[in-house]
Amino acid sequence: MLAPEFPPHIREQWPFAAHFARVNGWRMHYVDEGSGDPVVLLHGNPAWGFLYREFVSPLVRAGYRVIIPDMIGFGLSEKPVREHAHSLDGHSSNLIALLRQLDLDRVAVVCHDWGGPTGLTYALSHQERVRALVIMSTWAWQSPPAEFHTRIFPWRLMHAPLVGPYLLGKHSALAGRGMYLSVVDRERFRQRAQAAYEVALPDPATRLLTWTWPRWIPLDQQARAWRRFQWLEQELSRCKLPALIVWGREDDVFDPATFATRFKQLLPHAEGPHLVTGRHFLQEDSGPEIAARIIEFLSKLGNGRAA
Amino acid sequence: MSSPVSVIDPPDVAGKRMAAVLAEDRIGHYAEFRAFFERTFDLPRIGMSRPGYVAAPSGTIYQFVFIGRSGEPFPAGVEINALVDDLEPLDDALVDTDLWAILRWMISGVGAPWSVQDLDATGRLYRLAAAADPKG
Repeated sequence: MLAPEFPPHIREQWPFAAHFARVNGWRMHYVDEGSGDPVVLLHGNPAWGFLYREFVSPLVRAGYRVIIPDMIGFGLSEKPVREHAHSLDGHSSNLIALLRQLDLDRVAVVCHDWGGPTGLTYALSHQERVRALVIMSTWAWQSPPAEFHTRIFPWRLMHAPLVGPYLLGKHSALAGRGMYLSVVDRERFRQRAQAAYEVALPDPATRLLTWTWPRWIPLDQQARAWRRFQWLEQELSRCKLPALIVWGREDDVFDPATFATRFKQLLPHAEGPHLVTGRHFLQEDSGPEIAARIIEFLSKLGNGRAA
Repeated sequence: MSSPVSVIDPPDVAGKRMAAVLAEDRIGHYAEFRAFFERTFDLPRIGMSRPGYVAAPSGTIYQFVFIGRSGEPFPAGVEINALVDDLEPLDDALVDTDLWAILRWMISGVGAPWSVQDLDATGRLYRLAAAADPKG
């Protein structure tokens, strides 16, 4: 259940019991609903599990155990206040810690945004535990970066030194208007969902990860995560796990023509790309449709790890 | 409200307090930003021996405390404090406008490919009140 500071219309959409685990010393919140083969749904910046609220009931009804962690620094999880508390491998390790504690097997990993590099790091380093991958609006290679991420206006300026703490910290630009601009039906998002993301990051210090994550996107070989992304691309190109690619037709952060196509090249056996109505936060515009697509995909896998 | 941000000599701080208004852990994320502060406050010469000070458009003085981090070039970070009367609450709107002016001053000093025009456009995209009528 959500705390009273979340408005009633948000609490009504999130009736799920809160669970907490200690990962690498941090307190991680997660949802754990249903029973059956686990489906782990991973969000990115600046979201939290709420992004998947419309996935939970259909997946549970279809016979799956639904696990939705809030990344450390977001949602209902602990929020470190120093930038150096965050790293790509640290966040991947947080996820690995949770999933090991839960001793999950036959996992379907559903990833979006930074849930991609972290979730795929888990999946590709624990393939014996993973049944399938679902990939949405993310990336897993060093180069080329998204054209959007190379632009000074607005992306690099948003998280530039001091500008990031001011614009994304003091003024909550990403959790507020940033997400609003990255959905198709903005009025529906404003009425039904925007408060969930803003209330979860109530103060400037709680928004630290919103400007720290952008600084981890590799733009050149000096990038801190360069080698991890190199590893991700190599491992992904060898990966035989069943995979489904779903993308927002209107995605202007990771445009489908470039990014969904690149995943298809790396995973030629993957189903898709299936295009749905959606910008970067496609779950907000097409949640039930994507959930149905995942259920259909998983139902075809049978009991084995490979179709 | 329209006078530019300017670097000033250390002020008299008697009867004043330093109110934290903005902090950055990674000033060198883009190296040109660190270089701007190095040359603006003569940091290679004075190091951590004293803070830097600027006067903002409102007339408020802001202190820049530069932070070192083992294994990284100096400065690694910076804390910005408003210099205010010791018991006087901050005027949040005034501080916000001043900080926007300080960011514009910084971007102007960092130089190409960074531009104040792009910063203003970013501020307007995110509907910042301070960016609606850029001054300073």
